[in-house]
Amino acid sequence: MTLLDFARGPGLQWSLIILIAGVLWRLGGTILLNARKDLSRPRHKGTLTDGLKVIATRSLPAHQFEKRIRFQHFSGYAWHIALFISVLFFAPHIFFFESLLGFGWPGLPNGIILATAAIAVAILIALLIRRASHPVQRLISNADDYISILLVIAPLVTGILAFAHVGARYPTLLAVHLLSVEAMFVWFPFGKLMHAALTFPSRFQAGASYGRKGVRA
Amino acid sequence: MVNIMSALEGIAVRVEAASGNITPLLHEIRHALRRVAQGGEGTTIDLGSLPLAPGEEKRIEDLLGQGEVRAELNALGPTVVQETRYPGVWYITHRNTEQEVVARFIEVTRMPELLLAQSEDMRRAVSELDSKLPGGNRDVGHDDH
Amino acid sequence: MRKDQSLGEYLFSQGVSRRGFLKFCSATASLMALPPSMVGRVAAALESARRPSVIWLSFQECTGCTESLTRSHAPTVESLIFDAISLDYHHTLQAAAGFAAEEAREAAMRENAGKYLLVVDGSIPIGNPAYSTIAGISNLDMLKESAANAAAIIAVGTCASFGGIPHANPNPTGAVSVSDIIKDKPIINVSGCPPIPVVITGVLAHFLTFGSIPDLDELGRPKAFFGQSIHDRCYRRPFYERGQFAKTFDDEGARLGWCLYELGCKGPTTYNACATLKWNEGTSFPIGSGHGCIGCSEPDFWDKGSFYRPISAGLWGSREALLGAAAAGAAIGIGSALAARSRKKKAVAEEAKSS
Repeated sequence: MTLLDFARGPGLQWSLIILIAGVLWRLGGTILLNARKDLSRPRHKGTLTDGLKVIATRSLPAHQFEKRIRFQHFSGYAWHIALFISVLFFAPHIFFFESLLGFGWPGLPNGIILATAAIAVAILIALLIRRASHPVQRLISNADDYISILLVIAPLVTGILAFAHVGARYPTLLAVHLLSVEAMFVWFPFGKLMHAALTFPSRFQAGASYGRKGVRA
Repeated sequence: MVNIMSALEGIAVRVEAASGNITPLLHEIRHALRRVAQGGEGTTIDLGSLPLAPGEEKRIEDLLGQGEVRAELNALGPTVVQETRYPGVWYITHRNTEQEVVARFIEVTRMPELLLAQSEDMRRAVSELDSKLPGGNRDVGHDDH
Repeated sequence: MRKDQSLGEYLFSQGVSRRGFLKFCSATASLMALPPSMVGRVAAALESARRPSVIWLSFQECTGCTESLTRSHAPTVESLIFDAISLDYHHTLQAAAGFAAEEAREAAMRENAGKYLLVVDGSIPIGNPAYSTIAGISNLDMLKESAANAAAIIAVGTCASFGGIPHANPNPTGAVSVSDIIKDKPIINVSGCPPIPVVITGVLAHFLTFGSIPDLDELGRPKAFFGQSIHDRCYRRPFYERGQFAKTFDDEGARLGWCLYELGCKGPTTYNACATLKWNEGTSFPIGSGHGCIGCSEPDFWDKGSFYRPISAGLWGSREALLGAAAAGAAIGIGSALAARSRKKKAVAEEAKSS
């Protein structure tokens, strides 16, 4: 079995099993843990809209800090958008999702994907440098942050190398790309990458709870 | 063969485009031609080494067109040396004795090497003439040195 | 051609002119995928090349490689090359049979010890030697015996190079490649099922011309022919770059000649010269005819999942394992949440009791 056969076969299968089981484990555990009955009388009815409202308001920079966090905020957005474009609209990726989900969608030309992937890498490296040099950010960062960032940069960089055939033969580069994605899948449920699954539920939860208590947020 | 090909062309398959290799090829020819025009060395391009879409070889032939000189030689099968409409650019098609194309080249040079009489062949010709002309073998010694 | 004659002398004696010889050299250089600037060196080398003895052994094979070779599309060049080698044993092509054939092989090995070229097509069964024998000799024994005094070995076809179809799961005969058995000789793998005929003759021409083996890739294949992937040399590559893919074999995209990646084309992971040299007198190649590459020149191509599944799709068979993982993950999550809740309840109750 070659490296590529392993990466396309058992490697992919087991990393996906760990990813799916891990995400549902943490999501199920987290959601059910908070399901304690609140006996107080609600100050405000309509927790659903309160929750949704906070999902929206927390998606914009807070007024009080707007000036100081603008770079952080918008570079974060740019990074995520660039990441999603290169992951979701590269044709071979779509064929992968199609084999998994049973349906596909139209892709974008490779040139655009290559550009967005390069932009994504550049932004993430800039954010990584900032995280390592900014005194406050450095203080609140732990190994999890750095591992998570590296595990997300790796698939992007190996993907670009595979696309451009730089450094080794294409089958080897493709195998390394797949393995880097698989490493990310395995880490995903257990590290800070899990924010992808938890951000919106936790904002909703916070909004619903504020609403119930009559806090304006 | 010809009948099969025309029957195939009847099928509604349109090959939309192209390998993208024709433009770079033309650029290479232009650079090579400029070099030869300035007294530099010639260039030979093996068309068999280029990935071409169906019909592109024909397009290259059409783009280069036909110039003033056309030579046909018969050595291990026919070879056609056709000057293109750009003097100094030659389209060479080698065929074997069964008339099948063995190799195709574009040569950018004043005169393709293959058209020049070769020293070995000329020496052989001299000795052949010698055997036909009584007493004519005195000069052969000079040529052999 | 006599054995003591060089190729130059032989062609001269056949009345071939210098022009004819230069044409032959140009075609041979093109055949070997050498740049045209090498024609001079090819001419100098071929002129003094001596006629090597070639022994061709066919083991577990379908004769497709020999069929491919004999349908080579440049007969003049090829027949000259075959005139220029002494094919002393090839049990499909030779006139001799039985003892006479085996004697020819033994005589060639004896007379040209250390100098002959051994060509092998087919894989070698090591599960049981009796699965494939020639003149009562097992393939394994014949290979070892013939390889012992060979100058080099050319493994023709994917079976001889990597085990090929006989080696495919579950490999009932225990088929292996030449390089699995012979470790102390230079081996050139000319893979493909079958290999492109001009690649076979191109490699023979290289050996004849330079008396050496060409530059090889990490799978032992000549870089001149296997240095680039089908995808890299494919004329449909621009469609891949633009994201234009045929979805079925008869849709509009297929008619327009779009990329066949989604239909399972293995071009990106397959190294061969089909996209440039092509087949059937340079007429076309599978992708040119509307079918994706099946990757026949790569090891274990038969066992890499469906020919019609895109490379980027995984190799697992079903989604059931993933659904199982989802169920298991949800169950563990719910279980751990319930356990945490009951611990919390207990702690609260204990605190109430103690206060």
